[in-house]
Amino acid sequence: MPELWRFEAIGTRWEIETAELLGASLRDEVGALIAGFDATWSRFRADSVVMRLAAAGGSAALPADAAAMLDLYRELDRATGGAVNPLVGESLARRGYDAGLSLADAGAVPAPGDWMSRLAWDGAELRLDGAATIDVGALGKGRLVDLVLALLAPRVDGTVVVDASGDLAVRGGPVRVGLEHPYDATRAIGVVEVTDAALCASATNRRAWGEGLHHVLDARTGVPVRRIAATWALAPRAMHADAAATALFFDGGPQLAAEWGVDWVRMTTDGRVEWSPGGRAELFV
Amino acid sequence: MIRTNAVPRPVRTAAALAGVAGMLALAGCATDATVAENTATPSGASTSSAPSAAATESPATGSAYTDGTYTAEGSYQTPESVEKVSVTLTLEGDVVTDVEVTGDPQARESQQYQSQFIGGIADEVVGKSIDDISVSRVAGSSLTSGGFNKAVEEIKSEAAA
Repeated sequence: MPELWRFEAIGTRWEIETAELLGASLRDEVGALIAGFDATWSRFRADSVVMRLAAAGGSAALPADAAAMLDLYRELDRATGGAVNPLVGESLARRGYDAGLSLADAGAVPAPGDWMSRLAWDGAELRLDGAATIDVGALGKGRLVDLVLALLAPRVDGTVVVDASGDLAVRGGPVRVGLEHPYDATRAIGVVEVTDAALCASATNRRAWGEGLHHVLDARTGVPVRRIAATWALAPRAMHADAAATALFFDGGPQLAAEWGVDWVRMTTDGRVEWSPGGRAELFV
Repeated sequence: MIRTNAVPRPVRTAAALAGVAGMLALAGCATDATVAENTATPSGASTSSAPSAAATESPATGSAYTDGTYTAEGSYQTPESVEKVSVTLTLEGDVVTDVEVTGDPQARESQQYQSQFIGGIADEVVGKSIDDISVSRVAGSSLTSGGFNKAVEEIKSEAAA
């Protein structure tokens, strides 16, 4: 039987599956990796790099993952016509998804549409012009899952699964994963086999706190999406799978997935299911 | 949500001078309910539209509005896109005699263009019980942490109080 290590971090539940029990020192390394990512990118702690920049902008030593993630945000922005934007933090906070989890809605505000001119990075620094809240939620958890798998893969034998609840990456496999029905968690709408790849899911049902209020906003308006209820994307890396799963809530998502060679499934709020050309998911339709 | 951002487009330009006068007169009453409802209702869009328009014919005596054909374009944002509508209406003696609302043809082209990247669509999915499909994992939205769940419980109990 595989060994399971469960813990809670960055506001969600994690499960790491390995053939052999992970030693204490390797667990500590994983913990430190996640803590470091959180200390840089968390919108929910005042001392993080992004929250120190949020009040008035400024500069910070370039965080290790900034360029990889923000470069991908440029592609997301282009593909979705600006619906996905890394400065969407204030828009989310205004709807109540703020550092104190007030869950009190103060209305829709668009994210700064000019983020590419206000947020700059080079080999040394990350610079933000003026007050704005960076939120890498469109792909950050996927990135972190990749980092954890990259840390473990060379150090342990056999199949490794890093499952951060909704975003998972597998070394080895195959691992059969059910696609949870967004309106009935006891059911699956299909099954995907994941081998040496990542599967990321996103849905509007759990991080929700009021009438039509959930965590997937259109950055152009600050309004939660209404047409798509859930998305799944299969890609070699979790960061790309996570990013594609986010893009699939918007027009342009399927095209971006095609450009990246990402396999996907999505479900609309009226119960229809769509999937990518040549999709490998087994769907119960 | 509607932002009218288009420049009025005169349908005919012969009566240019009268058109300017008519535009000024209409601008003062542009939010009049008759105009707003007639432009907005057929499209099903928000009624907060305040179309600006250019008159193209001479004012009719005793009328609040100058007879003529008016066109305004507005855009509104949905969670997934920014849609554009164009509204053309004809006024005769303060009565709207014709309304034409057209959507943004680019949006339809975009829809068709996007559809080539979709492999298939099923109208309904029943799903299967997770207990019956022998999977080792399930992928859906991220499970939330205790902190988030507690915050949701708090606002629920406040709402119920």
